[in-house]
Amino acid sequence: MSDTEIEIVVDDPTAPEADSPAITSIRVVDVTVSLLLVALALTLGYDNWRTGIAWDATGPQAGYFPFYLSVILAGASLYGVVVAFLSRQEASETFVTRAQFRRVMQVFVPTLLFCLAMQFLGLYVASFLLIAGFMRMVGRIALWKSLLTAFLFTAIMFVTFDIAFDVIMPKGPLEAAFGY
Amino acid sequence: MEAFGLLMHGFAVLLTWKTLVLMMVGLVLGIFVGVLPGLGGPNGVAILLPLTFSMDPTSAIVMLSCIYWGALFGGAITSILFNIPGEAWSVATTFDGYPMAQQGRAAEALTAAFTSSFIGSLVAVLLITFLAPMISSFALKFGPPEFFAVYLLTFCSFVGLGREAKHKTVISMSLGLLLAGVGMDTVSGQLRMTFGSGELLRGINFLVAVIGLFGISEILLTMEERLALRGHAAAISLRVVLSVWKDLPKYWVTLLRSSFIGCWLGITPGGAIAASFMGYNLAKRFSKDPEGFGKGRIEGVFAPETAAHASGTAALLPMLALGIPGSGTAAILLGGLMVWGLNPGPLLFVEHKDFVWGLIASMYLGNVVGLVLVLTTVPIFASILRVPFAAVAPMIVVSCAIGAYSIQNAMFDIWLMLGFGVVGYVFKKIGIPLAPFTLALVLGNRAEDAFRLSMIGSGGDMKVFWSNGLVGSITTLAIVLLFWPVIDKAFGSMGRLWRPAKAAG
Amino acid sequence: MQNILKAAAALTGLLASAPAIAAWEPTKPVEIVVAAGAGGASDQMARMMQAAIQKNNLMKQPMVVSLKGGASGAEALIYMKSSEGDPNKVLIAYSLIYMLPLSAKIPFNWRELTPVSVVALDQFVLWDNAAGPKTVKEFIAAAKAASSPFKMGGTGSKREDHVLTVFMEQKTGAKFSYLPYKSGGEAATQLVGNHSESNVNNPSENLEVWRAGQVRALCVFDKERISYKTKVTETQSWNDIPTCKEEGLDIQYLMLRAMFLPGKVTPEQQAFYVDLFQKVTQTAEYKDYMEKQALKPIFLTGNDMLKFLEEDDALNKSLMTEAGFVAK
Repeated sequence: MSDTEIEIVVDDPTAPEADSPAITSIRVVDVTVSLLLVALALTLGYDNWRTGIAWDATGPQAGYFPFYLSVILAGASLYGVVVAFLSRQEASETFVTRAQFRRVMQVFVPTLLFCLAMQFLGLYVASFLLIAGFMRMVGRIALWKSLLTAFLFTAIMFVTFDIAFDVIMPKGPLEAAFGY
Repeated sequence: MEAFGLLMHGFAVLLTWKTLVLMMVGLVLGIFVGVLPGLGGPNGVAILLPLTFSMDPTSAIVMLSCIYWGALFGGAITSILFNIPGEAWSVATTFDGYPMAQQGRAAEALTAAFTSSFIGSLVAVLLITFLAPMISSFALKFGPPEFFAVYLLTFCSFVGLGREAKHKTVISMSLGLLLAGVGMDTVSGQLRMTFGSGELLRGINFLVAVIGLFGISEILLTMEERLALRGHAAAISLRVVLSVWKDLPKYWVTLLRSSFIGCWLGITPGGAIAASFMGYNLAKRFSKDPEGFGKGRIEGVFAPETAAHASGTAALLPMLALGIPGSGTAAILLGGLMVWGLNPGPLLFVEHKDFVWGLIASMYLGNVVGLVLVLTTVPIFASILRVPFAAVAPMIVVSCAIGAYSIQNAMFDIWLMLGFGVVGYVFKKIGIPLAPFTLALVLGNRAEDAFRLSMIGSGGDMKVFWSNGLVGSITTLAIVLLFWPVIDKAFGSMGRLWRPAKAAG
Repeated sequence: MQNILKAAAALTGLLASAPAIAAWEPTKPVEIVVAAGAGGASDQMARMMQAAIQKNNLMKQPMVVSLKGGASGAEALIYMKSSEGDPNKVLIAYSLIYMLPLSAKIPFNWRELTPVSVVALDQFVLWDNAAGPKTVKEFIAAAKAASSPFKMGGTGSKREDHVLTVFMEQKTGAKFSYLPYKSGGEAATQLVGNHSESNVNNPSENLEVWRAGQVRALCVFDKERISYKTKVTETQSWNDIPTCKEEGLDIQYLMLRAMFLPGKVTPEQQAFYVDLFQKVTQTAEYKDYMEKQALKPIFLTGNDMLKFLEEDDALNKSLMTEAGFVAK
């Protein structure tokens, strides 16, 4: 009795080229993020200072902890800015190459559109559009396959969540037309 | 023997058709997410969590923990057959697992992996079974100061023992603690950091953040890489299984050592990743033939898998007993507990015996059923990898969205999820660790409340954190751990002063 | 005010002819919105209603419990307010509808929702550890004599438990440090573990530890004793707990449990739910639940309910103002 073997091979024709030029270095992103965090810390710190950062009769007020946390966050981020500026290593490392960025955007933009569409069309219609659209446009998969997969997946989700488990999802005009 | 009686009671809770079916469903879903690229244990559990919202807590945790076992089993399939570690802790499994598969011993390697996963979990579950009753006996000793001390210990150990740059750990943790504070402050009943927004009123949900940070960002990261793969899927015949099992007693030292390492690192927040590498390295060091490792030795599969699973399972003990998650998945299960209205912590063992023992019993059953299931269905699951990523990616996005929305039925959470997705992607690339962030987000409120309740109780006297032996020793340990790098250095230099002196004398 | 009168008029009109035009029925699953965390008293009540409705086939559509406990329940209030005109959501409300808008300046007013019915009143009991003082008098004396103030556990800040504590201080002159826990269950276990000296939990929240003999019920904050006479612990029934007034502590407080629909629903829709919850209160599940949780049965709707709400609102407002919990 021998083991039955199945060969599985999957290719990635649109893989990002290895020699694509870098868009930016880790250092630039690190500094930017640290500065954004400082700004966030200042905003939150101000709001907590308004709430009250003193100790009253019953221990610290509502803003006490978050205020000092924002101070710590701001401090650590500023330190991060300095370290990143001085770091040679971070300057030489690539954050993302152009080819990689293109691929990331190929997922991110549809996801963003999906979230937008969900506000108006409800979850299920938006899911159908996302899956079908993504498979067809990005994956170059045959139209009928894309549509069928998207439909089946959406239908299974609908039956599982809305019918079997009573977890109610946002719905749009299409579901309303069917009385859901 | 109290444990035994309680455990039997746990089995009685479980043995209904409904729970058994949920168990199977959970395992299958778990293996599925374990095998899929861009998903894994924690994400899978987070995304599938909404399925359990309308269930009673016991059924819910049984299903979720089965998803988790399934994901662990599933991770081994891709590591061995395709050299793709689904999770960081499967990396060590690929060292010898993939070479074995290339030599046509895939079935043997898989059997070894599944069996050792089973053994590792079993040892950890045994440990939990016998430690759990002890926990409930000192549960009532925990008041606010004790709780705060334990949370402090967790935070300090992350900062002190973490391998990442210290300031990045601090950034990550303070950001998490800050976001945890958004919304209503329970102690004073005041709103804070909401900026008048009705959406921020309810606070930032931990699970929504996790789905974004791990689910969405993982897809973005996966897309950056080349997604080609090649490998063989082998059906496992009964004969192979039996021959591997027959040889099992030969490796008892390796198995026992790895189980021990796993349990230890799971309970102290060391994690499954460290456990799997340590298990592998020690097996290699103590082997008579260390050269053979990396070329397809079966111990090279046994050692890391046993350790990883023992640690993954043991991590549930501090989660249940103290409310402190020892791993990412444990953190999500913790979030789940809170959604179902169970407060993790020592009192859980007093207030919800059914739940705790149902869960422990389900660890035994889930592992047995899981083992049988994976051994019989490997080829089916392996062929999931044939599905192009272009089809898998949008489905994962949809699942994430369902998960994020259903936690609080809020559209705003969809945007939060997307935002956290981007944050997770950027943070991972610039080296800000995400684990302290999620930990802070889940424990932040509880830690702050515990501190303030202690202050109210003591009239603002900090000495309350050293007011008895229990709380005093935990607090002191926390502070030692926070400054561990400094202390370590100090000891190091003292040692250096010593040694030359000895050599001279 | 005019709106309320109009609604009230419409409602009374409806009640008279309810069976004839109660033709509306939900076409989607009905969401029962709980303004508290899972496992709390509101959640348990919602699940009891869900079960009662399902078992007795009172409604064709399923009922789904939806937990909106964020921001101490404010999340649920805002959610109901923003669901104007949606007849598939029912809020299971308690005293937070008066208190939260005052203490945290939440932009909410219960008059913007459509009242359906008051379904129960919840009691408050003064509890201490089984090893603590045995009567209210001894308890107060011990609290006054203690070197550091007695710790009083409760749920949430500037809410019913906190208000009661402030009133006890005012009436007795003893000092308490109020510890706001996340849930009544936590307050109960912390009392058992001796981390607090007392709490003012609802009967249901302390039921388990009372039965286990770990806490003692000192008195109930009501004019009369709880009516249930079946033994709960080995020696005591709910009826055996004296009222606080009997024990010389003249404080009364009851908390409503009431159902609300969002604003701007049609009278037919309102009538459907009035009828539905009336039927619920007649089921065995409801009666059983009331006794188990020591709740006071009541069913008010229409004008009676509005009158009750207005009076209750005024009472809570004055209590909150006196306690100094109204945000400036």
